[in-house]
Amino acid sequence: MLTELSIENELKSLISEIAEVELNKVNCDASLTKDLGVDSMRALELLAALEKKYKIEIAEEDLPKLDKLGTVVELVKKYLAEKS
Amino acid sequence: MPDKNSFMLEAKDIEKILPHRYPFLLIDKILSIENSASAKDGSSSGGKKIVALKNVTMNEAQFLGHFPGNPIMPGVLIVEAMAQAAAVLFLEAIDSNLRSQYTFVLGAIKDFRFLSPVYPGDQLIIEIEVLKLIKQSGIVKGSALVSGKKAAEGQLFFGTIKKDE
Repeated sequence: MLTELSIENELKSLISEIAEVELNKVNCDASLTKDLGVDSMRALELLAALEKKYKIEIAEEDLPKLDKLGTVVELVKKYLAEKS
Repeated sequence: MPDKNSFMLEAKDIEKILPHRYPFLLIDKILSIENSASAKDGSSSGGKKIVALKNVTMNEAQFLGHFPGNPIMPGVLIVEAMAQAAAVLFLEAIDSNLRSQYTFVLGAIKDFRFLSPVYPGDQLIIEIEVLKLIKQSGIVKGSALVSGKKAAEGQLFFGTIKKDE
């Protein structure tokens, strides 16, 4: 079972990779769209990467929730809990 | 691979789906479309596939300059042909009313590799598979083959822009 911290660290590096920003810029307060330059194409890439990595299927209406590291962690945890 | 003699859509059908025209319509035939996994709202996490055919001929404008005496199909045009095949897949699946309101445009090109040159006389078989499709955007992976050998492969991201009224 993945701990909360390990999910957070995994997601942090995933977001840093997709947004092409340094790892330390991905913190809990940074908005992906406003601060890290994530546009609709990168958001879609993040969505697809999350689905592939965690073998989950994220509903389209949850897409706006992918805006901060914290909400991404919450969302992934929610889907993982539904899966198990 | 589908039989090249049997096809689903020919050029005149493709013109009803794609807005592209000469000299930039880079798909000649659609050999097969699999739309099995489509959800009611058109969203999908894969399963949709299309196979398209493009005959490359010396009579095409790009070979005037790319390159004189040494014609090679530009890689970007292979990408464009693959993007058009993907656009057929997206547009065919949506309502024709919506189709007239939006244009599918390329948003990103990822992990593309050009593995062998394509020459006039070659027949490109383009295979596209949807990785993720939501209402207004999507990701596909695809490859272009000549005689069964991969000439190019990679991922394409699409978005939509609303046409001016």
